[in-house]
Amino acid sequence: MTSNLWFLKGIKKGVLTEKFPAEPPEEPPLRPSVMEGAEYSECPVEAIDAEGKWIAGRCIFCRRCEPHFMPTGNQDLSEVRNFSPDAIRKSFYIYPLDSGSCGACNMELLSIFNPQYDANRLRIFMTNSPRHADALLVMGVRTEGMENVLREALDAMPGPKVIIAMGACAISGGIIGTMPLDKEKVALEIAGCPPSPYTIISAIMKLRGD
Amino acid sequence: MGKGEGRFIGRTASFEVYPSVLAPAVPGAVEPERKLGPSEMRFNYGPSTGGLMESVNFSIDSPGELITGIEVNPYYKTRKLRISGQKPEDALLIMERINGFHSASNSISYILAVEDALGITVPEPVSMRRIIQIELERIRSNLTVMERLCSAAGFGVPHNMLAALREKVSRIIGNATGHRYMFGTGKIGGTDLSFSGIAHKLEPLIDEFREINESLLQSKIFINRLQGNGKVTDKGLIGPAARSAGLRFDARSDSQSLPYERLNFQPIVRNEADAFGRFMVRAEEIFSSMGLIERAEELSEGSERIEVVSPEIADGTGAARVESPQGDLFVFTEIGNFVIRHIELMSPGKSNLEAFRHGSVGTIFTDFPFNWESFGIWISEVGVEIE
Ligand code: SF4
Ligand code: SF4
Repeated sequence: MTSNLWFLKGIKKGVLTEKFPAEPPEEPPLRPSVMEGAEYSECPVEAIDAEGKWIAGRCIFCRRCEPHFMPTGNQDLSEVRNFSPDAIRKSFYIYPLDSGSCGACNMELLSIFNPQYDANRLRIFMTNSPRHADALLVMGVRTEGMENVLREALDAMPGPKVIIAMGACAISGGIIGTMPLDKEKVALEIAGCPPSPYTIISAIMKLRGD
Repeated sequence: MGKGEGRFIGRTASFEVYPSVLAPAVPGAVEPERKLGPSEMRFNYGPSTGGLMESVNFSIDSPGELITGIEVNPYYKTRKLRISGQKPEDALLIMERINGFHSASNSISYILAVEDALGITVPEPVSMRRIIQIELERIRSNLTVMERLCSAAGFGVPHNMLAALREKVSRIIGNATGHRYMFGTGKIGGTDLSFSGIAHKLEPLIDEFREINESLLQSKIFINRLQGNGKVTDKGLIGPAARSAGLRFDARSDSQSLPYERLNFQPIVRNEADAFGRFMVRAEEIFSSMGLIERAEELSEGSERIEVVSPEIADGTGAARVESPQGDLFVFTEIGNFVIRHIELMSPGKSNLEAFRHGSVGTIFTDFPFNWESFGIWISEVGVEIE
């Protein structure tokens, strides 16, 4: 088949891209999403503290605290810290780094480019080299073999070195291990196990100050 | 333990796995390191580059274009997971994250091994719902391999169409199970999940897929990239790689862990043994999985919640083997006083990595991405140590 015919087939399918983030997510997943509730003390990853406060970056959405805590569907699971949006360009190039993931975070990151989300239209791109990156996005727990690779990627990045921790593993170690990053240096935490494409996109936009 | 009989499926730390026996493990022969020939160079790719889905390193020997030797190092991102000493239901939270993209296959094979150890027999509708989970996972995984192959070929439109389909399947899975990757859905001794109407929701997607697939098969450029590329016929193959090489190897027909015989399952077998054959097996298995889901749904008794069966014993050893999207997945466990004392796992990734390596020699650099993607290997399940 010639590329022309493919083009026509593509057109025939119509526009799949949703209006998000201008409009609310069309089909937000229930888990992960913001959890609300009270009184549960047996969380396997201490995502509910002694005061009963739920900590997004630790939660692996295992459902054990349900129905004491329930997912709300709210996809806003990110937190920007110590960061001024003026420091970055509006076209945003991400260099992903898998420090020790289960693979699901990798898939959800890839999914932001699915036609339903089309992150490119929001000027979010992926780059193959840390030298061209506006941000280093780290997924997974700390592993011995990736420690040097992570350090080298950080060294190779131009300033300001924006670091994104994506997923419970990268933010807190989750249920799997320990976090691979210095928490103080992280500009954006995207919670979830794994965070949904809606969560990832809205987090990056929050970081950019959109 | 017995003497190995039938096809050799793979190896764990202590066992050689055969269809109905476990034999004591004999360490495999270690290949000597390859010496570079005259005018050959060694190229390094990875472990971290935006072009790869996960962290993995390739070291490729070549005099210019031809690949004369290749080593793969999947151990950069090795995670060390502690399972022993945990209660079976706590260990499940880790087991389902060994390979998050194939979480259903991983968690269900583990659950079946635990149930085997504790003498739990679940009612048939529970098994049927588990089969539906695994087959949904297979459909999404196969779509992804095909999507990645289109991406490698620079075929933007079919790549996007397949990515959109993958997203739709993820949403169906998310709505039905409460999580797009089925995390937190496993139950030892039962299930909380019900899947009524799932086949009906999948049907239009499968029709869309049929159309994309037929168009791809009319593309000579696409097919040329895959035909003759990464040919492997070794008897040690498993999963789609084996079935594309004329071998009827499929845990759905030679493992008793899940009752696929109730669904009249027949493996898809082809004879190309190359990247094209693996592509075709995956495409045909999408239709076959759809059929299995339809039949399993009829036997899964609608949307009723099925109560968990409690174990009658606290100690025992158990094993299970399921067909994950990439081939046999085997779990052995020993439980004492309701605590996991020992666990061993055989993931399909290791065997497929070997097959990829063998199939790469004699191909050229531009073949590399097609050959790699055609195996659908997940490094997360290879680079992992379980205690
Ligand atoms: S869902 Fe699981 S991990 Fe999250 S707060 Fe509840 S118990 Fe903790
Ligand atoms: S955060 Fe969850 S989904 Fe992401 S890598 Fe860790 S276990 Fe996998």
